[in-house]
Amino acid sequence: MQATVATTTLTGVEAIAVEVQADVSPGLPVFGIVGLADTAVQEARDRVRAALRSVGFDFPNARVIVNLAPAPLRKHGTGFDLPIALAVLAATGQVPRAALDDVTAVGELGLDGSVREIPGMLAHAISAVRADRDLLGPFSAGRVVGVVPQLRYRGIESLGRMKGGLPATASPKASRVQTPAVPVLDVADIAGHESAKRGLEIAAAGRHNLLLVGPPGSGKSMLARALCGLLPPLTEAESLESALVHSVAGLDPRQCLDGIRPFRAPHHSCSVAGLVGGGTPPRPGEMSLAHNGVLFLDELPEFGPASLQALRQPIEEGVITLVRAHGAVRYPARITLAAAMNPCPCGYAGDPQRECRCTDGAVSRYSARVGGPLYDRMDLTLRIDRVDPALIIDDAPVKPMSETVRGRIATAHAFAGIRRPSSMRSQLQPDARALLEDAARHANLSGRAVTRVVRVARTIADLEQSVPIVVSHVAEALGYRSWDTA
Amino acid sequence: MSEHRFTLRLGDKRYPAQLAETPDPPRVLYGIGDPSALVEGLGVVGARRATPYGLRCTRLFAGWAAGHGISIISGAAIGCDREAHLAALDAGGDTLAVLGCGPDVDYPRRSAPLLAELRRCHVVISECPFGQQPTRWSFVRRNRIIAGLARAVLVVEAGLPSGTFSTADAALDAGRDVLAVPGSVFSPESRGSNRLIRQGAMPITDVGELAQYLGLEGATPAAGDVAADDTLRALVADPMRPDDLARALGIDIVHTARTLGALEAAGHVVRYADGRYGVR
Repeated sequence: MQATVATTTLTGVEAIAVEVQADVSPGLPVFGIVGLADTAVQEARDRVRAALRSVGFDFPNARVIVNLAPAPLRKHGTGFDLPIALAVLAATGQVPRAALDDVTAVGELGLDGSVREIPGMLAHAISAVRADRDLLGPFSAGRVVGVVPQLRYRGIESLGRMKGGLPATASPKASRVQTPAVPVLDVADIAGHESAKRGLEIAAAGRHNLLLVGPPGSGKSMLARALCGLLPPLTEAESLESALVHSVAGLDPRQCLDGIRPFRAPHHSCSVAGLVGGGTPPRPGEMSLAHNGVLFLDELPEFGPASLQALRQPIEEGVITLVRAHGAVRYPARITLAAAMNPCPCGYAGDPQRECRCTDGAVSRYSARVGGPLYDRMDLTLRIDRVDPALIIDDAPVKPMSETVRGRIATAHAFAGIRRPSSMRSQLQPDARALLEDAARHANLSGRAVTRVVRVARTIADLEQSVPIVVSHVAEALGYRSWDTA
Repeated sequence: MSEHRFTLRLGDKRYPAQLAETPDPPRVLYGIGDPSALVEGLGVVGARRATPYGLRCTRLFAGWAAGHGISIISGAAIGCDREAHLAALDAGGDTLAVLGCGPDVDYPRRSAPLLAELRRCHVVISECPFGQQPTRWSFVRRNRIIAGLARAVLVVEAGLPSGTFSTADAALDAGRDVLAVPGSVFSPESRGSNRLIRQGAMPITDVGELAQYLGLEGATPAAGDVAADDTLRALVADPMRPDDLARALGIDIVHTARTLGALEAAGHVVRYADGRYGVR
């Protein structure tokens, strides 16, 4: 007797269809799984056997062969447990075969027959909607997959539930998380740092990459966290994209679903795979987890050179392509990069109060670790200095209330959306263009640097809801360009 | 080898006379280049971590003196030293470098092209034998040679504490005059040179004063036009960060950022490595 159950498996952030075929034939009792299954899938045999028995089904005393098709595709993970169990049940007539025709099943089984969540439930749900099939999976995942529109979800707590036929479809409401894990910092709470706050506003309005340079304790991390709070909440589409990456990585996607922008701050000991994604099976890295949000790299020069250089291409393209022997995997990575570093190894170069004790060579070696190409991709470089203690204690300036700033940023976003998307060059006023040309020749700016200056100037103009880019916009944008320390 | 190496012993005919009469002259001088270029000159020394102000002063005074036939003596270190040599070369004048390592050793490495040029067309000397690598103390010893060769030592920019002081001390020991360029009272990088003035060094505030000291004629005082712009006027006295500038002038930060951006692009102000802006 044979039966087939549909399931899906993850590649990148997509779930692709896999057929689980079970063949139960007379012979010596064996239970074999074929079709490039990894160890986790092979172990499904023991889980399935125990789960079936503990909920009162029979495991056939016969030759059971399960094939996962397409056979050349590598199969990872424990999500095959449920479809394998269902295929065996259907092949032995314990569950009506017709009931499973329109169903895609995913889920891990416990020995007691419980159905457990697996990473990437959102991806499986989206794939089920695309294929116009019902999704059968763990009941507990219902609160997450409920956000996928048009999904027909059938959640079960235990395999024993299948005795009464398929459970009814439900459209569960996604539950909401109220408190964000990373406390969002309000710019209004930051004393001083006026020019840095202006830089943050521009970075938030145009999603520009940001480099904060300053001595220890000057407030670089604080400002980077405030950047996240300035960004407008995720749109519906964005929140689903970001949630999808979190789901695939096995993290709780509910914050993203609530519209909270991801803020990821990996430690500098992070590996290349941890940063851009990788491993077997491939898993999204911090950069993809920060998709549509902020990736904050504190102590930038302390990151490994390979990690830093791996950032370059995804920053430009907004997507990471991992090419492996068995194919390429793509993860989204549209991020706002916020990086922070000390000006020198001791940290106090240029600090008015403390003297820097670094040799000249040490300073240039330190800064060279980041490398020209990465500096070139930083749209705004802000020098952060310690604020006068009196200012912090008085806590006087509540001037640019974060609400006002956020309002300006939202308006700029909206304006950027409605202004005619003509070429930036035609919006550059002649005198602004002349200034840019002068400065580019003067400071030896690369082609990319010029493009990025124009983009920043465009954002500054958007903040003022001005279609033309005038000379003062370019002047301000040039001021944020990283200076040459030669 | 195309370069010309020479060794001068104390008492040799070509050993610089002004150096020989100092209290502690080196017994042997090793050099590369033209030994006849070891004439009395003007020592120009300053901080390695020079600000644009220091570099600008160096270029002004060293360049002017070299252009008027005064040889510029310095140590080829980065910062003010290097700028002094370059200004002298640009003015078509003479210049010589005194090193704290063997005269054939490129140290600091960033000065290698400059040293190559000096060895070819001018002269590089040291009391360290050929091939000797630099040590920490050799630079302090080197400073007394700079002072000994020079008629006077001009300190363009020095913080506190500063290695430049050992050159000034050596100059006083050798009976040479110490000249100093004053700086802003707010600038830590000028604290040392301002203190030298208080201790009796002769302040040099424009080219005319240097000319007068050197006994030269025809110096036109530097055209110090009054800055029209409030921002420039504020920055000319005291380089500031944008935040401080905005507070000092009572204007908002956006306006400040734009003014500074425009002034920088036009070459009127420069950004210091520590984020302050100063007048070029």
